[in-house]
Amino acid sequence: MTYYAQLVLNGVIAGSIYALFAVGLTMVYGVFRFINFAHGELIAWGAYLVLLLINPPFSVPLYLAVLPALLVTMAIGVGQDRYVYQPLIHGNRITLLIASIGVSYLLRNTIRLIWGSDLMTYGIRPVRGIQFAGLSITPTQILMIGAAVFFLGALYFLLTRTMLGKSLRAVADNMELAAVMGINMKKVSLTVWILASLFAGAGGFLLALDTNLEPVMGMTNMIKAFAAVLLGGAGNVWGALVGGLFIGIAENVGVAFFSPGYKDFISFALIFLLLILRPKGIFGVLTGVR
Amino acid sequence: MDYLLHILIVALIYGIFAISLNLELGYTGLYNFGHVAFFGIGAYTSALLGLSGLPVSLSMALGMAAAGVAGALLAIPALRLTGDFFGIATLVFAEMVRLFFVNERWLTKGPMGLPGIPRPSWIGEGIAGLPMFLIFCILLTVLVALTGRRLATSPFGRALKVVREDEYVAQTLGKNVLSLKIRAVILGSVLAGLAGCLWAHYISYISPSDFTLNETILVLLCVVLGGKGTNWGPVLGAFIIIFFQEALRFLPIPADFGRLVAPLQGMVYGFVLILIMLKRPEGIVSEYRGSRQC
Repeated sequence: MTYYAQLVLNGVIAGSIYALFAVGLTMVYGVFRFINFAHGELIAWGAYLVLLLINPPFSVPLYLAVLPALLVTMAIGVGQDRYVYQPLIHGNRITLLIASIGVSYLLRNTIRLIWGSDLMTYGIRPVRGIQFAGLSITPTQILMIGAAVFFLGALYFLLTRTMLGKSLRAVADNMELAAVMGINMKKVSLTVWILASLFAGAGGFLLALDTNLEPVMGMTNMIKAFAAVLLGGAGNVWGALVGGLFIGIAENVGVAFFSPGYKDFISFALIFLLLILRPKGIFGVLTGVR
Repeated sequence: MDYLLHILIVALIYGIFAISLNLELGYTGLYNFGHVAFFGIGAYTSALLGLSGLPVSLSMALGMAAAGVAGALLAIPALRLTGDFFGIATLVFAEMVRLFFVNERWLTKGPMGLPGIPRPSWIGEGIAGLPMFLIFCILLTVLVALTGRRLATSPFGRALKVVREDEYVAQTLGKNVLSLKIRAVILGSVLAGLAGCLWAHYISYISPSDFTLNETILVLLCVVLGGKGTNWGPVLGAFIIIFFQEALRFLPIPADFGRLVAPLQGMVYGFVLILIMLKRPEGIVSEYRGSRQC
């Protein structure tokens, strides 16, 4: 019994990070109506930039390295939008999708160029987990859940209590109408990209703190985040949150039943089935957009 | 000289692969981002049958058939989706197929791959067989490209283009859109299977790492760069990409930096893909030969 409880706990930890990724991905989808393939690369860049800062020639302590790394990640996110997506935003959706595949490939290979393809870590000594009712959790993992709760709570506050959040939701609902009502589109799109890259970068850093860094980490996590997005219904922020938790739990509990080689297969199969059976998501709040 | 033959053969195989993707992406407007799955299914089926002692021509035919069946199995459910969501479904399908190749060791030997795949007996093994294999590839490429051209001007091909431009118009004209799309995907998969078979029997060794997202992006780049919806654009794209890839090997790069070549290549591919989308989305060979000025 404790074994399964531990698996569920691991699932919640992984899921809270997937939720961070998924919320960013779904916000971009909600406003711009395209799937940003390069979202995963923001995750990887967030993690690798911290690695860059804590090693020579910078040798910054870890807790000081996070903030500048996240700022640069945000700059990458905003830069993507300004130089690639904005010029294409009024064209064909597929053009945007192919362009974002190009951006993703460019950014991932830049990581491989700078840091190589090998597994890397921050070099922090593993700490013994805290035992609690037969379950084990490390301080890093508590930080992961705490950060996810903090970021998503702040997002909730922003979306429901501020004028900016209101305009953001209005744009997601109907871009043209929102623009007609005098909502500053530039400000909204800037906010979306900043939030999406902030969540991706922070999540990537936390994930790397708990596991390790490799160039494909962006791609694999992006696919999981995408499964979460679909589960919650594309464009639905709270759906993505629940979807992320669900994917995390499903994946970790699934290990008890399938061979570990098929761990990623679970999210893939889930995406495929969801797309075909429930394209509006389990919590089909958002309608009409496929 | 042999090296040049090798590059030509690889470029031709990618040319066939690109033509097959172009059938779906260019003519029908189906954004298949998992096309490498059919390349892989063709390659693995043909390789396994060839290794078990079947004549190569027969195993290649069966490989193509297997790819076609897989295409039908994917197309029938996945074509209920449109646009980018179809793209995602196919991408995920390709990853599932790859994970299957990695994990089902009893069949595919997993990450170890399958070595020693035989060539057709009349071609001959090793370097001695290169010229014959090249001729074989040229014949097949010309055949596939001519079929593609015949198809594009046939009522079927024109119906596909109507589907691409506007599904509702096609429906109004009494075309069965779903059936047209399914047939396009099956045809594309069979041809991708052919390219996969050629690849397996030419290289004579395959492993799951030959059929990743990288290959999908490479062939996507061939089609988009060459010109989607044209007959020779994809082949041209394939030649440019493969020759570029091989030319990088001759750059005077110090041995210590050898590991930098592959990432640099990837960066260039990504950058070119972005640049084409921004500056010339129709590719080098335009479908409309500059006549569409509006």
